[in-house]
Amino acid sequence: MTATLERERWRPDRAVIAAIVAKDFTAIRRSKAIVLPMLLVPGLLLIALPGGIAMFARSRPAPDLSTLLSNLPHAIAAPLLAVAPSQRLLLLVNGYLLAPLFLVVPLMVSAVIAADAFAGEKERRTLESLLHLPVRDQDLYVAKLLVAFVPSVLLSWAGFVLFAIVSNSIGWPVMHRVFVPTLPWAVLILWVTPAVASLGLGIMVRISARASNTQEANQLGGAVIMPLIILAVGQATGLLLLSPGMVIGVGAVIWLLGLWLIRGGMKRFDRDRIASRL
Amino acid sequence: MSEATIECSGLRRVFDDGLALDSLDLEVRPGTVLALLGPNGAGKTTTVRLLNGILRPTAGWSRVLGLDPERQGHELRHRTGVLTENAGLDDRLTARENLASVARLRGMDTVAAGSRVTELLEQFGMTSHADQRCQGFSTGQRRRIALARALISDPEVLFLDEPTSGLDPAATEEVVDLIDSLAKERGRTVVLCTHFLGEATRVADQMAILNRGRLLVSGSPERLAAELWPDVELRIELSAPADQAALDTLRRVDGVIGAVSTPAGAIVTMSRRERIPAAIGAVVGSGAQVFSAVPVERTLSDVYFAYEERLDPVHRGLRAADAPHLEAEAERVPA
Repeated sequence: MTATLERERWRPDRAVIAAIVAKDFTAIRRSKAIVLPMLLVPGLLLIALPGGIAMFARSRPAPDLSTLLSNLPHAIAAPLLAVAPSQRLLLLVNGYLLAPLFLVVPLMVSAVIAADAFAGEKERRTLESLLHLPVRDQDLYVAKLLVAFVPSVLLSWAGFVLFAIVSNSIGWPVMHRVFVPTLPWAVLILWVTPAVASLGLGIMVRISARASNTQEANQLGGAVIMPLIILAVGQATGLLLLSPGMVIGVGAVIWLLGLWLIRGGMKRFDRDRIASRL
Repeated sequence: MSEATIECSGLRRVFDDGLALDSLDLEVRPGTVLALLGPNGAGKTTTVRLLNGILRPTAGWSRVLGLDPERQGHELRHRTGVLTENAGLDDRLTARENLASVARLRGMDTVAAGSRVTELLEQFGMTSHADQRCQGFSTGQRRRIALARALISDPEVLFLDEPTSGLDPAATEEVVDLIDSLAKERGRTVVLCTHFLGEATRVADQMAILNRGRLLVSGSPERLAAELWPDVELRIELSAPADQAALDTLRRVDGVIGAVSTPAGAIVTMSRRERIPAAIGAVVGSGAQVFSAVPVERTLSDVYFAYEERLDPVHRGLRAADAPHLEAEAERVPA
């Protein structure tokens, strides 16, 4: 009843949301358990790996990819067959095959931070004092979402910028042109990546609110997020073969799903339920 | 319209794992310090959570500052301050950051928050630790910061759960004085959940004893003591234990119910306080040397132990099943 009455007249309190976000950003920045996986994994996947591929492509004779290309879908094989054999490896890996990583990173980063959102507060025994403050349930929920959403998207975007710089600069002697980003890449990064982050958050924040500690949240969340990661890995390269319009459509579907989960989670988020489990 | 700052009736909360609070009736007036006493698991924390609107009651109602915590919890929490049993500080933030974030959440702008935080850090002797992360703080230091956080918006009602836990004697004294002045000088209402009966005795105007979710008794310590001990005891210090003649003299005084000898003199039980001068006069008249005569004052602590002794076999290490007579006696204690 309380929740219903308060929700009816809820308008986001930007100052309160900003204060929670600012506090949590400061705390996260100082938490090695969160920062290290947040930086190391994207660093390895989005910078070191494409950089290594580019180095390999420019320092070794071009491998023969004809057998591989003959087994690939025509949509991928055609542009690769159109370039010089020395450029094919770099274009195949950095131009197509690494795309899934840009969906894995926001899922992973948002999951790591979201797991800490409520379960971490419970673990540190800071949640009760937070609940005793004049912060509406919805403001608290939105703030915790933003705390996970903003870094996961920014990190993905920053990773992509660095990926593009590394791939193009190291790969320049091979490609002699800027080969990433392409238009489908840009749509994937700017539109689909945030959608995927929202999907991961829709799941993880709910789990975090129910779990009693971060480890439990990570374990429960992992069971749900892992299939999504597998799905992302399987399908992301395919997205680059679609027209930008289709990619926007796929992104919209993911957005809708994520927002539906978030909305449902916000409706079910209730101070009493949280406080009962303290 | 009631003048009570806090009132509740039939307040009840049941969790999945059982009853936490049952049929709580309370009334606390402005400027009062209510000591909420009871063993662990008595329902003190649940009471605070219900009164501050972070839990909904299963039954019953409450009003705090005229607001319904269930429906107007957000408005209410703007006007209350809570010190939880655990300090609840974020170890990754400094003392100043912990306080400033709460000040911002309570609607203060950056400048106002900054000056209020500085003021509180100074008041609680934490200025030199202001920019250190709370991770390395002692229990006492954490308690001070948590207490400062509860006071940050100068709340009208304060819920303090073990405010002096972990503090050294000097800091304890300061906190007890602070609670006293908040209530007496500034008219703030304080709900003090504590196991330290000494501090409760010093500041509480009203006490409520909870046991296994039920209110055993509430009222002013003086009234409860008068109900428990209607007779007056006078401790008379003499040069030697009172002899039989002196005891007989005392027993003949109108209003004296009994007199017993003690190593330091005698203890006289009388029906009315007004008969104290007559009893002293009788002892002096009998030729005994009287060094002092002090009426035994019953404190909140005495009241608590009187009830605890009679009503809480679990707290005393007995299982209820082993002491059914104590359960039966619980029913007879005046509410």
